Amino acid sequence: MLNVIVPRDLYDKTALTGTMGDEKQVSSTTFDTDANQDELIMQQQRRIEKEISETTALVGDLEGLGMLEDEYAGDDVYCQKVHDLAGKYKSMRRTRPDGNCFFRAFSYAYLEQLLEDREEYERFRDLAAKSKNSLVELGFPQFTVEDFHDIFMEVIDHVGKGPTFFSQKELHKMFNDQGYSDYIVVYLRLITSGQLQRDSEFYQHFIEGDRSVADFCHQEVEPMYKESDHIHIIALSAALNVGVRVRYMDRGEASEVIAHDFPEGIHPAVHLLYRPGHYDILYP
Amino acid sequence: MDFEGKYNIKSPAVKRLMREACELKEPTEEYWAHPLDDNLFEWHFTVQGPPATDFEGGVYHGRILLPAEYPMKPPNIILITPNGRFETNKKICLSISGHHPETWQPSWSIRTALLALIAFMPTPGNGTIGSLDYTPEERQMLARKSQMLECPSCGKVVEQLSSSVSKPPTQEESSLIRQIALKAEEQPVEEEGENEEEQQPSEDKPVRQRLGVSQHLQPQSQLQHATVGVVSSTSDSYKNWLMWFLVAVIIFLIYRRLFLV
Repeated sequence: MLNVIVPRDLYDKTALTGTMGDEKQVSSTTFDTDANQDELIMQQQRRIEKEISETTALVGDLEGLGMLEDEYAGDDVYCQKVHDLAGKYKSMRRTRPDGNCFFRAFSYAYLEQLLEDREEYERFRDLAAKSKNSLVELGFPQFTVEDFHDIFMEVIDHVGKGPTFFSQKELHKMFNDQGYSDYIVVYLRLITSGQLQRDSEFYQHFIEGDRSVADFCHQEVEPMYKESDHIHIIALSAALNVGVRVRYMDRGEASEVIAHDFPEGIHPAVHLLYRPGHYDILYP
Repeated sequence: MDFEGKYNIKSPAVKRLMREACELKEPTEEYWAHPLDDNLFEWHFTVQGPPATDFEGGVYHGRILLPAEYPMKPPNIILITPNGRFETNKKICLSISGHHPETWQPSWSIRTALLALIAFMPTPGNGTIGSLDYTPEERQMLARKSQMLECPSCGKVVEQLSSSVSKPPTQEESSLIRQIALKAEEQPVEEEGENEEEQQPSEDKPVRQRLGVSQHLQPQSQLQHATVGVVSSTSDSYKNWLMWFLVAVIIFLIYRRLFLV
């Protein structure tokens, strides 16, 4: 199930849809005794998703951390952490909480840097170009993998033109075009799944229950809107050899926002802010 | 098929569907599928009944409705040919067995969906929504009858499948196909994105009618909750009647008062 963490400003509205859902649950039992609870929950989720997509951009504009301070005014635990965060980062960019936020935040932040970093761009382009064949070798259907790969490479080639011919603004526009944006997410999900399956012996230890790595990939990695856990981040950062630093902001005791680097020991290129269930982009 | 003028061919979904149309251009002995001439988001298909089952010799025709978010969201399949396994004219969608439609994977395609449909036909219906558990005799009879079907937009269905053997599914593909389950949708049609409506102006009336009263009532009753707050559904027609009666009495009293003064 998808646990959507809703930003504060949306909170009230979502609560409202929540109650509407309950009301519906009550009224529908009168007419449709067969309706199963799962379906009702799914309907409610669809409504919440629709609401979120109408109010939150896929990737938002750059904003100062002051916004975050306002958001948590009156909440001591969070205020302390926001203060700590503001000492370490200049600004942030929100992403839509649709379950794809880790992949979207990661790819946006990384490609934005590649606009300026020729050397890293060349390395990444080469790796991305070769990734298709290794996915097909792993048994992914060639026909559709090709489709996702083509669009992914199209975006990367745009980035390769450099900031003079392909500005940050254009990248931002592309990431807010649902078609392109989702295609990038799908392809990163495939790369993540590929990495997990290629190194399944290692990753098996991270998976709870008796699910195999392949099952886990089919159920939690490849489908859209499925939230990312540590294991997704570990696999993607390892597959692309791109360092990610995640700053955790939760109700934990510490007054600092704890950092966790994936994979450990490599320079973090991408910084993300984690609040339970959701990732946003941070700028040092 | 000239879609270039009608759709934004830069849109990944349109590109993808045109690619799939190209891939499925040549019919095989197992399946045939193509988009309608005027709507890339609605396809018609024919599949062969799986051999050595009650469906052997049957040819099953139906429609595929693609959501505007395809391939992020799953296609819906609607069978037109009576078959004894699935209800006709009812949306069925794909998921991994025992999971929700959210487990649809964008790397699946219309071909995957059709192969999964063929593989899923002989599985027991077990009373799931949209499933039928007809007897083998009835299914065999429907299989024979299915050869006569003619579709107004596609012509004689039995002539669509070719004798050429289809590309055999890879090992991964066949293990994947076995995992996929098909199930009718329970959600009210109105919940679907408006986009779909726009792109599929021919969005079927019969399906809606077939979906049954209960699903129509839900959104309707919601609306009434929001506006009037008293009238909630036709099952409450008694309350409804009572309310109108009271309104009539009040009007009557007001009139009487006016006349008396």
